[in-house]
Amino acid sequence: MTHLRRYQHQTIVSFFTALIIFVTMPGAVLAGIEHSRLICRVETERAVLQAGDSQNVVLKITLDAPLSPAHIKRPLVNLALVLDQSGSMNGTKIQQAKAAAIEALTRLGLQDIFSVVVYDTNVHTIVPAQNARNIQGIINIIQQISAGGNTALFGGVSQGASEIRKNLENDYVHRIILLSDGLANVGPRMPGDLGRLGAALIKENISVTTVGVGTDYNEDLMAQLAQKSDGNTYFVESGFDLPRIFSAELGDVLNVVAKKVKVIITLPDNVQPVSIIGREGRIRQNQIELSMNQLYGGQEKYALIEVNIPESTPGSKIMVARADVTYENPFSQKLETSSGTSYARFSNDPKKVADSTNINVVREYQLNLNALAQEKAIELSDKGKKKEAVQELKLSAERLKQIGSKYNDKELLKQADELEVQAEMIDDQGMSKKSRKLLRTESYQKKNQQLSQ
Amino acid sequence: MTSKRSIIIFWALFLVPTLIMAIIAFKLLSHEQDRISQSALHALSERAKTISETIHLTVEAVQENLTQSLLVIDQDDLKKNLIKWEETNPLVRNVFVYKKDQNLEYPIRGLESTPEERLFIARYDSLFSGRIKFDFNEDPLRDESKIKGAEDSYSGSSRYDSAPTKQIESSRQKLVALSRVAQKAPALEQQAIFLEAKDQEFLEKSGWIPWFSENSLYILGWVQKFKDGPVYGVELEIMTLLSRLVVDFPELSEKGTALVLVDGNGNFMHQSGTWVTDPEDKPVAVIFISSLLPHWQIAVFVDDKGFGASRGFLYVSVILLGIFIAAIISGGLLLTRLTLKNMKDARQKTSFVSSVSHELKTPLTSIRMYAELLLLKRIKDENKTQTYLSVIVNESGRLTRLINNVLDFGKLEQGKKTYQMTGFEMDRFLLQMICAHSIRIENQGLEIITQVEEGEYHVRTDKDAIEQVVLNLLDNALKYAGQGKFIKFVLKKEDTFILLKICDDGPGIPSAQQKMIFEKFHRVDNSLTSKQPGSGLGLSIARQILRDLKGDLFFEPVPGNGSCFTARIKHHDSD
Repeated sequence: MTHLRRYQHQTIVSFFTALIIFVTMPGAVLAGIEHSRLICRVETERAVLQAGDSQNVVLKITLDAPLSPAHIKRPLVNLALVLDQSGSMNGTKIQQAKAAAIEALTRLGLQDIFSVVVYDTNVHTIVPAQNARNIQGIINIIQQISAGGNTALFGGVSQGASEIRKNLENDYVHRIILLSDGLANVGPRMPGDLGRLGAALIKENISVTTVGVGTDYNEDLMAQLAQKSDGNTYFVESGFDLPRIFSAELGDVLNVVAKKVKVIITLPDNVQPVSIIGREGRIRQNQIELSMNQLYGGQEKYALIEVNIPESTPGSKIMVARADVTYENPFSQKLETSSGTSYARFSNDPKKVADSTNINVVREYQLNLNALAQEKAIELSDKGKKKEAVQELKLSAERLKQIGSKYNDKELLKQADELEVQAEMIDDQGMSKKSRKLLRTESYQKKNQQLSQ
Repeated sequence: MTSKRSIIIFWALFLVPTLIMAIIAFKLLSHEQDRISQSALHALSERAKTISETIHLTVEAVQENLTQSLLVIDQDDLKKNLIKWEETNPLVRNVFVYKKDQNLEYPIRGLESTPEERLFIARYDSLFSGRIKFDFNEDPLRDESKIKGAEDSYSGSSRYDSAPTKQIESSRQKLVALSRVAQKAPALEQQAIFLEAKDQEFLEKSGWIPWFSENSLYILGWVQKFKDGPVYGVELEIMTLLSRLVVDFPELSEKGTALVLVDGNGNFMHQSGTWVTDPEDKPVAVIFISSLLPHWQIAVFVDDKGFGASRGFLYVSVILLGIFIAAIISGGLLLTRLTLKNMKDARQKTSFVSSVSHELKTPLTSIRMYAELLLLKRIKDENKTQTYLSVIVNESGRLTRLINNVLDFGKLEQGKKTYQMTGFEMDRFLLQMICAHSIRIENQGLEIITQVEEGEYHVRTDKDAIEQVVLNLLDNALKYAGQGKFIKFVLKKEDTFILLKICDDGPGIPSAQQKMIFEKFHRVDNSLTSKQPGSGLGLSIARQILRDLKGDLFFEPVPGNGSCFTARIKHHDSD
């Protein structure tokens, strides 16, 4: 995990500053294609920082993806559905999975690529990668899926990736949707191993979205695979939710407005990187590198970075960070850039400092800390430390409540209440399979700012 | 004539070799089945060997390509090129640059490394801290020609499949191609690099290290181009390797079999074949893949019951053999039974002829003797003359009944007997019969008991035929129960039938014989009957007549001694 788990901050001392956000909009507008660019914003948690000793400050680097332009043809999609047809899927689950697969198919355009891989003890490609034209023929094949056997999840994803690779060179949005309801018992089954597979697939721009059905699948494995490949992850308790989830996921996939997104945050020499919160990235001296496979229309994705700002004098001003974003515009297949810079001023007036709080940054920071606390609670509970896990959740809820009350933020207060209920439930009944899955999925969705949930 | 024993011996002599042949055939079939199973297993093991060789060659080719790519990588910006390679190549998990004196140059220890890199550094700490040399596992017999062989095997055809598929690039070929995608310098550039570096001593050392850490296998490839230059290299992404290899795993069509790729910890990495293996199942064959993937193996699993498909040979053969044996045995049994029956019939017919001859001779002798006496007129006594004449009349009557029976039997056998249906009262008819034969009965010292239940006994049937039935039954009773005290006639109604019972208190019929008394020519073969003449036709004819007239005749044993025959005659009203 990249993020250092720091829940307590140094007290921010004195002075006032002003936060200036520069949003640079490179002007290279492509001929014939006019649509909004991706906007990059860099914000600190306070517009004015306390002057004095060196201090840690949380930066939020936000990427505002533009809405998908209505008048330009959307990027084509190369979709592989990898469906679990092991014995445990029998009944409603397999029926709803088939309905969901058909739902996904019917939403694709004629130029999109569609394939279906099913796995039990073995792996079978029932619909090889092809244009989504012969819809009725494909539906007939999907209808014949029946459940039985073991769960060769790794083989299924590998085969799905192989189908995607048939059109890898073309400018498609590559996506695997993996559905599973049980524990992988053929092939690698450790979450770390599947995470490595995800990390390898992202290098080929293939993202894996994982959908866990029921309470018997391995949520750690599914979350890691999605996280490392920059896909989404979902937990659905009953098979009846599957068509909705597939539809939502496809809504995202058909709405990609930026691909191969790379963010490089450059810090001045005197500002030191401390940690990346909730995301994986790389710190190279004074640069922090982050990457995302895809951004969806209207989505706000962000990264939280903790940096150390040197000693300061009241009235002084420094540049805190500059973020440069490069991404591929899937409509024009051209590389585009965007950047944002954040300056900070220092003040000695605590009121000014307090008044300048940027609640958007504070809220997201707290929610990400909460996501980390949820993961810690899972870890503790796995080690049999139920009390400590509950304590961790309660502490996080308490902190959210405190900060929520302070800034009168409804979202934080709501999250605090929900967490408290969850903590109480775990205290009473122990960490149920469902609670664990909810915590794991929520935590991932928060860290990844997943659009569809 | 062939004796019963000789037939059984003949049959046994015929059966025993058949059974011996059957056992031999079954054993041969079992061996044949085993041979088929063994050859299927052998084929499966050969397939596993081919797979393991293919995996070995793939991994070898991948490693050699990566080594070559590492050796030609631009040395000026080594770190940057390696990082770019790591970021874009799914086969590369981590990259490193190590300088002997300066320790690890990249990844940078501390905050600047990613968590993955930190784990990577920790994993190879003994190498990166200089405690172990990179070439500790170097094989001095390393043959460069191997590289070419490995490359060649991937140049066109796929070794998994029998038919090469040239149009579709297999996943393994893509994988090998992936290992070549590095910043490969063209030959000229490469030469230039060497020229520039002529002041450095050229070394070009390389190697691959299978590395075990926390019970998992990692593979590290390294090169050292110049003697005093850095050691740098890549950590192979095993999951990419595996993911690409499993896609091309051949499918198994045989039921009850599975080929499983097993890692060093015994975990199933991939399975082909539908046989659902249990963790406790033991493989029938194990093929170790390669020293490049230590302890990895292809395990061959087979259903305990044998190969599902090939087992069919034994099943079909055994069924055919079973049908063949059953046909022989049942045919033999049928023939034996027919032969025995024919023998029995022949015996009965012989016995019948002699019985009938005897039956005919006895009254004829009496008739002749008395007729001669009367002819000679030596008998003066009128009473004696009367007696002799009555004997002649009685014996003639007996002779007539006997001949009638034989004639009727012939007609009945051929179905030519015709019946004259007339209406009459059965009770009156019975009483007339008893009256007519009362002298015969009383002469035997038997008391006549008559029980006729009240009611109407009108029948429409052949009166003469019924008379013959009653006479046969009466003759039987007089013949066999002559030592008894009474003879009882019972007449009563039951449903649509009239039941006429003729019972005696004679010695009765042994239970073993009761079922056979109605068979033609059958005579109860004991000391009692041997004294009595008879054709063995009486009861058979009586039953046949009654059945022809829609009635029946059956025997009811009487508790204690005695026997009782019941004739069931259809009531006229029931028509």
